[in-house]
Amino acid sequence: MIVMDSLASGASLRASLIRVVACLALLVTAACGSDNTVEPPPPPAFLQVLGNGPVLERYTAEVWVRGNIAYTTTWGFRSAPGNAVKIWDLSGGGSPVLVDSLIVPNAGTLGDVQASDDGTLLVVATEPQPGSIMIYDLANPVKPQLITRYTSPNTNPGVHTAEVQRVNGRLYAFLSIDPPARLVIVDITDPRSPVEVFSAPMGQPFVHDVFVRDGILFTALWDGGVSIYDIGGAGAGSPAAPRLLGNVKPSGGQVHNIWWYHAPDGEKRYAFVGEEGPGAVASSSSGDIHVIDVSNFAAPREVARFRVPTAGTHNFSVDEARGILYAAFYNGGVRALDITGDLSTCTAAQKTVLGLCDLGLMGREIAQGLYAQQPVYVWGVHFVAGKVYASDMLNGLWALREYLRPG
Amino acid sequence: MGAQAIGIITRQSPALDGRPFTEGYVTQPTLMAHARLRAGVTLQAMFSLEGLTLGRGELNPGIVGEGYIDRRHPHTYLHELTGTVQQRMGRAQASLTVGKGFAPFGTDDPMVRPFVTYPINHHLAQILERIVAVGAVRAGPLVLEVGAFNGDEPESSGDAPNRRRLWDSWSARATLLPVAGAEIQASFAGVRSPEIAAGGGTDDRKWSVSARLADPAARRYALAEWARTTEIAGGTSSFSFSSYLVESEAALGSLLLSGRLEVTERPDEERLSDRFRTPLGGHDFSILGRSRWTIGTARIAVPLGLRSRSSLSPFVELAFHRVSETLRPSGFVPAEFYGSNRIWMLSLGAKLTFGQLHGRMGRYGAAIPRQRGMTSHQTVPPHHAH
Repeated sequence: MIVMDSLASGASLRASLIRVVACLALLVTAACGSDNTVEPPPPPAFLQVLGNGPVLERYTAEVWVRGNIAYTTTWGFRSAPGNAVKIWDLSGGGSPVLVDSLIVPNAGTLGDVQASDDGTLLVVATEPQPGSIMIYDLANPVKPQLITRYTSPNTNPGVHTAEVQRVNGRLYAFLSIDPPARLVIVDITDPRSPVEVFSAPMGQPFVHDVFVRDGILFTALWDGGVSIYDIGGAGAGSPAAPRLLGNVKPSGGQVHNIWWYHAPDGEKRYAFVGEEGPGAVASSSSGDIHVIDVSNFAAPREVARFRVPTAGTHNFSVDEARGILYAAFYNGGVRALDITGDLSTCTAAQKTVLGLCDLGLMGREIAQGLYAQQPVYVWGVHFVAGKVYASDMLNGLWALREYLRPG
Repeated sequence: MGAQAIGIITRQSPALDGRPFTEGYVTQPTLMAHARLRAGVTLQAMFSLEGLTLGRGELNPGIVGEGYIDRRHPHTYLHELTGTVQQRMGRAQASLTVGKGFAPFGTDDPMVRPFVTYPINHHLAQILERIVAVGAVRAGPLVLEVGAFNGDEPESSGDAPNRRRLWDSWSARATLLPVAGAEIQASFAGVRSPEIAAGGGTDDRKWSVSARLADPAARRYALAEWARTTEIAGGTSSFSFSSYLVESEAALGSLLLSGRLEVTERPDEERLSDRFRTPLGGHDFSILGRSRWTIGTARIAVPLGLRSRSSLSPFVELAFHRVSETLRPSGFVPAEFYGSNRIWMLSLGAKLTFGQLHGRMGRYGAAIPRQRGMTSHQTVPPHHAH
């Protein structure tokens, strides 16, 4: 059993001790000269810190970057409420520079933020009641102008996440609603007149997030696992009438977020699923990354996982051109995984007790960031143009240099 | 029939950001009824009007539950409505109770204990306002109870237990009655998803052990209890919260003197813009931190009989709280949040009662211990118990 209390304090010190013990164990193993020695994976590299834009009066939540502007949201109540969207200038290349803050009225948490694919709109989710999305015009990216605040009886008691994606030419916001959980899909093609096209109870007990790509909708349903819907990409489904294709319940449940990876060679085999276990802000977290083979939507299956013993994962961002997944890992900082090639094949020594491939034992963890420095609690990451931006609940916004493979 | 209400003025310093708060309320306004329909069949009811008088919650630093934090939440309007069938079986007594009320777990509700200000372990040491079915057997000095109930906690004063959650949780309590007026109990409860009404949230494993001494005739009372709740997520233990409490009361002439010492851990949860509120049910299983509260409380009351069936009891309660985070680093640092890690609270007020009040809360039928000074046939004391 994992007892969170035991992970809670001195995580970085404990991690250091674990590393020392691990190194000693490796030395002893090497000295013994066993023929059965399993070659350990190379140690991960470190993601260079380029700078930090501090936020100390509020807990920082999600991050979204477009061009040289970043938007970070805020959560809960620190010494001020989580009702601010911070706007950052990234053009200096080092520490993000705060240029403005949007204050959202009647909101206590802004858990999610995303710009539309054409960069014209910024959508922000608000909690608690009245749950809503704020839709801003980004004609001037550092001075977003409110177009409308969309709320309905179905967005109460709060919009936890809002994913903005285009399906067959129309722009939709996919809203994950707090318990009693439901998914609401809103057509925001005309942002002045959003139209709710779908609403249904979903999640056990939460629907936490979705991932939409190529007309396929992946829903993160906590202990309900991952459900895959056709909303226009695989036949007769649409955002107004999603058609269920399949479901998988990864080991551990607590499905929080998803990324369906499209490799440069066109392969679309894997979806990466974040599990969010219990944690305590600043001191502990838990939950693995699960790798799901979705080559057959009707029969998705878990093939691998990645675990950090002292921390749990949160949101992802993927450098798809290089096949690197960057994952927020709360008190474990940022982890970079090599997700190229076949993740479902490994040696017996690289398997978990459940028979899944262990990406850690496979040496797929290639870099770490913000780990073992000052206490961090990284909520989200966004990879853009050679940099990884990490939103840290305790310290604000970090800029990290991307990982580049040797050679 | 009986009724009570307490007028109280409380000053807490500091309450938030180093600032003191002074507030007044009518707290615990309650109507009570108890009826014997025929031999061995009883009904009992309790209606709380706190939903009308305590909507913002009552200042009570350290307490947490049902969407409130550092304020005690109002109870549901229908606090209790149960029917009990009790039968003698040879030398044993057996009973079955069904209705809305207390699960057989832990100690008496704080409402029938000396202090007006609740101990902050209320959600660790009692399980109440559930649809319950409780079977109890008393044989000699031993009482065994087993109960099933809905795990979901109320979400508002007008909330009713979730029908789909009926009987998804259970508890059991064993009580030893070595001599009249003394009891030792140990209990366990498995509570499904108490904080998410629809189900699927973390489950609670709860333990309680206590010893109680009471002599109403001599106006003496003492209680010592330990309680622990461990949250279970996905079959795995996550956080545990423990509580130790001792309290006593004794008469000194016309005064009632009481003292309480409590050491309780609590989860520090995300707060809303109203910093005395937390999201109901949340959206994951994380917490901001865990704090340990050490609270010493002293009380002096002067019970005054007004007429034969009514009384007025002016009182003063003074409490000192020391709080610190138990997880480091922590997302919640009490000294920063409150302005100090030492909090004083002074409460002045008066309790007005009419008619016959409940003497015990949390036990039914055969599980109600005989009190000192009563005959073996007299299982319902002047302040009737249930």
